[in-house]
Amino acid sequence: MTAPVRGVAAAPGVAHARIWRLPERSGDASSGSGIGLEEAAERAASELESLRERLRSRGREEESEIFGAQALMAQDPELLDAAQRAVDEGTPVEQAVHLAGEAAAIALASLDDELLAARAADVRDVAARIIRILRGEQPPRLEERSIAVALDLPPSVTAELDPALLAGVALEAGSRTAHAAILSRALGIPAVVGAQGLLAAAKDAREIAVDGTTGELFLDPDDETLAEIERRSAEASALAAADVALRDRPLQTADGHRVMLAANIGEPEDSKRAIEGGAEGVGLFRTEFMFMGRATAPDEATQTRAYARVLEAFGERPVVIRLIDLGGDKDLPYLPLPHEENPFLGVRALRLADAGHEELLLTQLRAILAAGEHTGRQPWIMAPMVADLADVYRLHELVALAAFGRTVGVQPKVGIMVEIPSVAMVAELVAPEVAFFSIGTNDLTQYLLAADRTNPGLAQRQDPLHPAVLRAIARVIEGGHAAGIPVAVCGEMAGDPAGAMALTGLGIDELSMDAGGFGAVKRALGGAGLADLRAGAEHALHAESARDVRAIFESMRAPEREAVG
Amino acid sequence: MAETTIELRNPSGLHARPAATFVKAATGFKADIRVTNLTRNADKSAAAKSMLGVLGLGVSHGHTIRITAEGEDADEAVNALREMVEAGLGEAIGG
Repeated sequence: MTAPVRGVAAAPGVAHARIWRLPERSGDASSGSGIGLEEAAERAASELESLRERLRSRGREEESEIFGAQALMAQDPELLDAAQRAVDEGTPVEQAVHLAGEAAAIALASLDDELLAARAADVRDVAARIIRILRGEQPPRLEERSIAVALDLPPSVTAELDPALLAGVALEAGSRTAHAAILSRALGIPAVVGAQGLLAAAKDAREIAVDGTTGELFLDPDDETLAEIERRSAEASALAAADVALRDRPLQTADGHRVMLAANIGEPEDSKRAIEGGAEGVGLFRTEFMFMGRATAPDEATQTRAYARVLEAFGERPVVIRLIDLGGDKDLPYLPLPHEENPFLGVRALRLADAGHEELLLTQLRAILAAGEHTGRQPWIMAPMVADLADVYRLHELVALAAFGRTVGVQPKVGIMVEIPSVAMVAELVAPEVAFFSIGTNDLTQYLLAADRTNPGLAQRQDPLHPAVLRAIARVIEGGHAAGIPVAVCGEMAGDPAGAMALTGLGIDELSMDAGGFGAVKRALGGAGLADLRAGAEHALHAESARDVRAIFESMRAPEREAVG
Repeated sequence: MAETTIELRNPSGLHARPAATFVKAATGFKADIRVTNLTRNADKSAAAKSMLGVLGLGVSHGHTIRITAEGEDADEAVNALREMVEAGLGEAIGG
């Protein structure tokens, strides 16, 4: 057997394919392509033209125009002349392109026009593309079925990759809640993250096998390993078949206590898979994907279409749309945020409203209201990053502002994501002012345990089954129920069998997860009675560690086969 | 030299898409064509074949621009560009 590189299992499944590497920004000019400025600019323009065509053929007309404009910039005589002059004066060509792009960007940004400021980011992007070509580096594009091997995959890159060709993900950095991991689960492809030493080990490898269930990575696997991978893959398919058999069964305990089963989705396309999997609604519609990888914020009409598609697909079933959770960790051309030491503790999400970006949130709210009107369905609006009652009032104010001058036939339900510990502490004060709570256990855990979820070295400290996190959750459920509002969990914990058992024992009303996790959670709950789960949860609140809590619930789980049978 | 002055009525001004339409059309002529945004800064002109130059004029809805051209097809270029701006450069513009 080939010796594995080990990481954190982030999305289940097994795959074997060619390695695709993220082009690196080396800053090393020696690895040049040998082509001149003019040719590099021409190639950049032709790349941009084909990107434009690709988007256009998929009906993404509005986005495609941005690339059309960029293609013209790449061939812009003023930009190229300025760069050429600098080259003639002895400036290295890459630096010359960078400086010319920067000068043009600053000129546009200084015009004090919002749309032109976005174009400034486009010029920088074009300059970066020309530089990349001068260096002989490839664009982030998959040519064949491949597994992405990288330090990390930023959302802007994953947005460019063709999902039909991405067979798996293997990252040296990142955690289970990294964007690429969440995306992998949504696409149903295996992912392993936080695999230290991966890049060094993969340096000369051509192929990789990923086991996203065990967290193992095999570089250039030998025949014996491939046979093993084959066997595991067959086993995974058998389990998937068992999931299908469970599809029409509701999520309930062995003695019939029902918990609502909802899906987390990242884009409208995910609706079909969620409905087919038996989702009773959407507990979390992440809207960030619509905002990534583009030069301008999506306008109201574009957003309305996306929201309406999901509302329509789910019909009478509730759909919770989360307002954008963007902050300093995302580098968006149209949302210039100052660099922050701690972006997760900084200006993000709802806080953008008081940092000069109120319009971004208002546009989204207007689009959600419009989608509700078009479809006749009631949208559930959820705000992340709510710290206290003052934030709740601000949220209601924004919704009222967005509704101003509009005949809102269907009133939206306005609720909050509980992820900041302060709001969990005052849950009973906030509950009467909102329509629902949804606990975001990923961030609640990182905030409560002061363990950065992007730091793989702290992965052991990020277990939401920690007794302190469970106590916070118990408090939120109690506060919510006292006010008569439903309490859901939409973090990764909901899709973790032991987590789902603990949450059910604590009295949760709804579990929302990626549709890929439905089967495992149904099996876990179906194998235990409510009284046992309650007793287990009571125990867990007084346990010493997350590991002890896991042991409590693992011991309760019936063997998989019995539960399936 | 050919010259014309016209008001831009595109709702979002001369932003990416209409600017691209304009620049592409200008590139099709041999003449040296320049554009000035009279509303914002009458002293600054830009090459009509430069996307960055045209965007850099910051032409908003209601601004008046001057198009000038020199060269063999100068008249033709100015007329064609004027017609395109009047027609909204591919965008729907209010009457």
